[in-house]
Amino acid sequence: MADYKETGVLSLDDIVKPSLERMNKGPVVVIECVENIPCDPCVAACPKEAISMEDITDVPQVDFHGCVGCGLCVTECPGLAIFILDTTSEPCTVTIPYEYLPVPEKGDTVYALDRDGKRVQQSQVLRVRCSGKTHGITISVEKENAWNVRGLEVKK
Amino acid sequence: MEDNRIRKHPVLEFERGEEIYFEFEGERVKAYPGETIAAALYANGLVKFTESKRHHRPRGFFCAIGKCSSCIMRVDGVPHVRTCTTPAEDGMKVERHGALPEFPKDVPPNSPRPLERDIDVAIVGGGPAGLSGAIVAANHGLDVHVFDEGNHQGGQLVKQTHQFFGSHREEAGTRGIDLAVELKEEAHKAGVHIHGGSTVLGYYPDMTLTVEHENKLEIYRAKAMAYCTGAVENYLAFENNDLPGIYGAGGVQTLMNEYGIIPGKRVLMIGSGNVGLIVSYQLLQAGVDVVEVIEAMPHFGGYQVHASKLRRAGVPIRTRHTIKRALGTEQVTGAVVHELDEHWQPIPGTERELECDVICIAVGLHPDNQFLRQAGAEMKYVRELGGYVPVRTPDMETTVEGIYVAGDAAGIEEATVAALEGKLVGYAVAERLLGGSEEITMKKEGVQKSIEGMRQGPYGEYPRRGVKMCTLEEEVC
Amino acid sequence: MSVVICRCEDLTEEDILEAIEKGFKEIESIKRHLRLGMGQCQGKTCVLLTHRILARELGLTPEDMDEPTARPPSRQVSFNVLAGDDDE
Repeated sequence: MADYKETGVLSLDDIVKPSLERMNKGPVVVIECVENIPCDPCVAACPKEAISMEDITDVPQVDFHGCVGCGLCVTECPGLAIFILDTTSEPCTVTIPYEYLPVPEKGDTVYALDRDGKRVQQSQVLRVRCSGKTHGITISVEKENAWNVRGLEVKK
Repeated sequence: MEDNRIRKHPVLEFERGEEIYFEFEGERVKAYPGETIAAALYANGLVKFTESKRHHRPRGFFCAIGKCSSCIMRVDGVPHVRTCTTPAEDGMKVERHGALPEFPKDVPPNSPRPLERDIDVAIVGGGPAGLSGAIVAANHGLDVHVFDEGNHQGGQLVKQTHQFFGSHREEAGTRGIDLAVELKEEAHKAGVHIHGGSTVLGYYPDMTLTVEHENKLEIYRAKAMAYCTGAVENYLAFENNDLPGIYGAGGVQTLMNEYGIIPGKRVLMIGSGNVGLIVSYQLLQAGVDVVEVIEAMPHFGGYQVHASKLRRAGVPIRTRHTIKRALGTEQVTGAVVHELDEHWQPIPGTERELECDVICIAVGLHPDNQFLRQAGAEMKYVRELGGYVPVRTPDMETTVEGIYVAGDAAGIEEATVAALEGKLVGYAVAERLLGGSEEITMKKEGVQKSIEGMRQGPYGEYPRRGVKMCTLEEEVC
Repeated sequence: MSVVICRCEDLTEEDILEAIEKGFKEIESIKRHLRLGMGQCQGKTCVLLTHRILARELGLTPEDMDEPTARPPSRQVSFNVLAGDDDE
């Protein structure tokens, strides 16, 4: 049994990553969904048809070159497992699905958390997109943290 | 006075309406229309609801959905009222009674002769399975009646505030609470007769049900029946396991998501299946601390994505851990947990004391099958489906002709499967009562295909194997 | 400190073990002996736990066992609901 089934924390090796070449072209989706669960709203959410599945229990297949990094899928995933990474912008950004209160506002400083819930750095909220009750929140991150930051905590 | 009601929630809105007041042991208690007596009392800080029969130990509610009866009190002079399903009303008088309450002195007037009615289809349970089946059957022109104990239907969907998994064609991405509203609207449009606040008391031969509604007896004779009675939460044996503050995950969800009341401040979650993981996440959303999630197995049981959400929020998930005892005398003040070795034995020296005011038990569900037993349906133990389940045909007909089953009562699976099984039963009932057609056969096959689809993949292996064990081969005509 | 098995009838693990000792070796007879599962909830919490004890003590599997007989009424109901006042 994989380690994450014990810890609940994915390692970088568990995740399908876009190529460096693609990362250097701009924002791109990263889907941290590694089990064959019966779920497919991400497929319907993508306007570019860059996410596909043959069977509903397949792990989502991403055509990273088709993905434009729009982030519409981020708020549609019931597992809150979809993120957008942009390592080409200054600063680099990660877009995170968020369903807690209070909802941070653009310009706020928040704690960026890793997959283990640990505070990694302080981040600026750059964009807040609301779809239904789920928010897609884009925060600034240092380049070396782009692959670690997956959560955020509003400062009290 | 304490008020444990949630004012602001990231996903839910609680429209509470005008305050009403009832009397509890001489005190004025605030409630809102739609709240049950138990919910309103809990919102005001009451945790001890009754006393146990022999040892007079304090008891709180456990299930909060009318199954466990740990919340019985005297309401307007009548003892043994399940306060978790009885709506609070202005001016009511509520009091706790001991283990063996006095017989009421003012006996209510006798009820009139029972109402008797012949109907086409009786469906017991108004959850996703029952409503989905009722809609299909009613759309074929049948006289369909759904009996549900609760005052608003939708079953356990109403407390599911997370987006649904599954196919987006089958409403995935929709939240359970929204799905419940949709189903109810559709049922009304289809002309389904929904009997809320109606408790089915028993099954009698030749398709007869007795129902209690507003203190009156009703008798329904049907041409076909479907049992969509859902499931009951599994209980766990550990020292002090009956203290107030120890609740089933469903009870916690009901309190929190249906009535907008927090169960406590610090919760220890036992069990890491999807229910345990999802409820933990919902607790965080409601602003409640989740101290730890513990799991006896060497790995957690639910989906990785649910576990990852919790871990990102800093909640530890401890596998190979179990609870030894609950601490507290009147209510939970903590818990002692310990590690298990590979033979499920406690490892000495690993005991830890945790501070918490709620222990939430999420160790699975088992089918609620008592009416199927009353009807004499053949049952079979199928571990993969959570317990004793009825033997059924591919159309979900039990071994009693004309009696069908759908949803968790047929085996513990997800709500999407329950709704699909309900649909399948709807078509099968229409076929039985109105005669078959090519269209119905096609529809049935379509639904069966969707159900099979939901059972693909590694998580589907378990139910897939289970269903195979209790499904009879297709009859050869 | 007790481990409660049947909440409604207030039966502990010791009560069940004692019953097994006395020779009540399946759920139906334990039920008749102790009223296990005959309270308000009609066996919704205790049956599973009792099966586990029986399995542990007697080496039974769930397939060897069965749930107790279910009879109406499935819920507590007041007598005046059942015994209507009627002229006819």
